[in-house]
Amino acid sequence: MLSVSDLPLLAPDAAAESMSLSSLDCSTNGSENRVESSLKPQGQAAATNPAQPLSLRDELGIFLSTFITIFLAEVGDKTQVTVLLMSAQSKAPWVVFLGAGSALIATSLCGVLLGKWLSTRVSPRLLDKAAAVLLLLVAGMLLLDVIQG
Amino acid sequence: MDWNLLGLAFVTVFVSELGDKSQLAAIALGSSGKSVRAVFLGTAAALVLASFLGVMLGGGVAQVMPTRWIKAIAAVGFVGMAVRLLWDRDAEEPVCADEPAEPFDSV
Repeated sequence: MLSVSDLPLLAPDAAAESMSLSSLDCSTNGSENRVESSLKPQGQAAATNPAQPLSLRDELGIFLSTFITIFLAEVGDKTQVTVLLMSAQSKAPWVVFLGAGSALIATSLCGVLLGKWLSTRVSPRLLDKAAAVLLLLVAGMLLLDVIQG
Repeated sequence: MDWNLLGLAFVTVFVSELGDKSQLAAIALGSSGKSVRAVFLGTAAALVLASFLGVMLGGGVAQVMPTRWIKAIAAVGFVGMAVRLLWDRDAEEPVCADEPAEPFDSV
């Protein structure tokens, strides 16, 4: 009688233990799988999808190349001359700088947003050609300035 | 604060910059570039620094810097960017054409 009543007591425990172990196993397996599956698509996407967000280094490269060329193009340009004439005439050069600086930020924002808007409208291939032509035009304007003095 | 002077400086510079070289370059780079933010920050920082130098140096800019040479260098830089734009797209073209599953990548 004892053994009969003990066995059912033991058996459920053992079963529960084995079940909890197996469920633990399952859960660890599951989480491992989940980690792997969450890692895989990211790696694949980073390797193949060019539309992924850029790394900081790439972005810094774009920033610096833009900064240097535009800065060199603007040195001695008519805007700079305007600013220096206005600041020389007025007694408040900082006010002139504030006005000119905010205007320049506004125009560059307009330009970049216009470019961004165009990029949603025109096919990338045509757009890159058009952008290259535009940059060559800018280079031509600069060279014209150089020749004219 | 002299608001009239501020407004005058803003309007003068805004109008003279509208459709000028740097804005054309900003349109071109913003449309083709991979990062609009980087292009905007680069353009704005360069323009603000240039006008800052204009205010600081006053009439001495031409004496301090050989502006003609600097402009020539900038022109070479823009030509280089234009060439890179065409070159990069040509290099990427076959990869893009072989990727019909692009919508799935973004999911």
